[in-house]
Amino acid sequence: MTNAIEARGLVKRYGATTALAGVDLDVPAGSVLGVLGPNGAGKTTAVRTLATLVRPDEGTARVGGFDVVAEAHRVRTIIGLTGQYASVDENLTGAQNLMLVGRLLGMPKTDARATATRLLGRFGLDDAAFRPVKGYSGGMRRRLDLAVSLVGDPRVLFLDEPTTGLDPHARNDLWHAVGELVADGVTVLLTTQYLEEADRLADRIAVFDKGSVVAAGTAAELKSKVGGERLEVRPADASRIDEAARILAEVTGGKPEDNGGLLGVGVPDLSLPPAVLRRLDDAGILVAELALRRPSLDEVFLSLTGHGATENVEARENGGVRV
Amino acid sequence: MTTASLRVTPAQAFRQGLTLAWRGLVALKNSPGQILGFVMQPLVMIVIFVYVFGGAAAAGDRAGVVMYAVPGVLVQAALIGTTATGLNLHTDLGNGVFDRIRSLPIARSAPLTGRIVADAVGMAVSVLAALIVGWTVGFRIQTDIPRTIAAIALVVAFAMAVSCMSAYVGLIARNAASIQFMAFGLFLPLTMGSNAYIVPEYVPGWLQGWIAVNPVSHLVSSLRGLLLGGEHAEGLGTDLAWTGLWALVFVAVFAPLAVRAYKRKI
Repeated sequence: MTNAIEARGLVKRYGATTALAGVDLDVPAGSVLGVLGPNGAGKTTAVRTLATLVRPDEGTARVGGFDVVAEAHRVRTIIGLTGQYASVDENLTGAQNLMLVGRLLGMPKTDARATATRLLGRFGLDDAAFRPVKGYSGGMRRRLDLAVSLVGDPRVLFLDEPTTGLDPHARNDLWHAVGELVADGVTVLLTTQYLEEADRLADRIAVFDKGSVVAAGTAAELKSKVGGERLEVRPADASRIDEAARILAEVTGGKPEDNGGLLGVGVPDLSLPPAVLRRLDDAGILVAELALRRPSLDEVFLSLTGHGATENVEARENGGVRV
Repeated sequence: MTTASLRVTPAQAFRQGLTLAWRGLVALKNSPGQILGFVMQPLVMIVIFVYVFGGAAAAGDRAGVVMYAVPGVLVQAALIGTTATGLNLHTDLGNGVFDRIRSLPIARSAPLTGRIVADAVGMAVSVLAALIVGWTVGFRIQTDIPRTIAAIALVVAFAMAVSCMSAYVGLIARNAASIQFMAFGLFLPLTMGSNAYIVPEYVPGWLQGWIAVNPVSHLVSSLRGLLLGGEHAEGLGTDLAWTGLWALVFVAVFAPLAVRAYKRKI
């Protein structure tokens, strides 16, 4: 399969800050790559570089086979971009925003108007078509933003944190819309801070941290990379928790964590959980809760980067410290 | 996609600039507050200088004060309009609209051309509004239509030159408030410290010196010459020359700076 997006060794520095420290990416045509990472990980810079808005200091990137620096104009004819902050003009109406882009792409007025009407209908914005965007809700704005990025029928779509700040209902609407695009064969690169979003929409996930890709693969591959399944055990008698933890440690060779009486430990080998149960039974420890599950992407992220996906965000909001 | 070619032709670039100018003007139409501002601003200036201060200064010759002050009001309306260039560029850069526009296969110059054309139209509207407000309080053009058109063109052209500075400040400013502070700090001495509203003979010598070199004084004198004629047209050639020279200085200094700042943002 050919790659719609291909990046090799992308580096971008802003003064002393290195936003991208050598990024490689491959996105096969017609697939969805989820770029996952905390604020300041370089996700937006990567998108801006691939969308020809930022010139890389080192490395090369091709989108649809065109070089993002030497053939930037060609790249622009096949991409659509939806920014982190909705990049629609607040003073224009929804219809005018769509008309503007249609006209800039060289469409005659009637075509631009027809395209605007079609997209407004598709994204459920008919009623708001002739109202200034200023009065739109967050969800409506994002839908309009997505609609505007589709005016030129892009083959490659960049969605930079498309659902940040949306309520769950609006988020679901947008996910649905992205799903439809993917069904049409559009290649999508989507950045997100929400692990759930990457898990749900992306075929493959690249985890960014401090300007580099620290892990890449399908959601399942990433999860198994982090230590396979996870066994969780809650002893019925809370006083015997230390005893149970010792048994878990002996059998699995791991270090069980105690989350309010629920012991959790990674199990690299699927023969281990039955062994754990036998030992607990022998010791006469009754089990009130038992689960074997794959780690969540939150845990994946934590173990890949050494810090949680949301810690960074909070640290920034609480005074701009970068972790 | 209709733009299959590698490069944008000059004709396409021009059309794209006009489309973006349309965007700026529609935005204006969609915000009635700004249009109201166009009318209110000259109205307030006329009330202040003709009725508040002018009454005392001219001791009853209100008609004379109107004729003297209205050309100044036109200049002030246009100059305050230049702030919009910087503010609008700054807003576009900040809210992602520029990213969207720049990710399209259009000429790099189009956003800048579009802004300038839209602002020129906005300034012309603002100047016309000031003329109409002036007319309602008794200002009457004493010359002919060609000279009136020349006057409007002159004040808009000068304001566009000053817009280069506004664009530069808008592109480098960290926040919108600093643009407004700059506008206030700069345009107040330029407009108030000119012959727009005060008669130079009545102020101290150091202020007379400033008024004599102030570009706004030359622009206001030129407007008086073009709109009122007669004794006001004496020295019109010199005033026009100084006005043109100052406009060139503004363009020569700030246009390259603005283009450089704009390219750096791209």
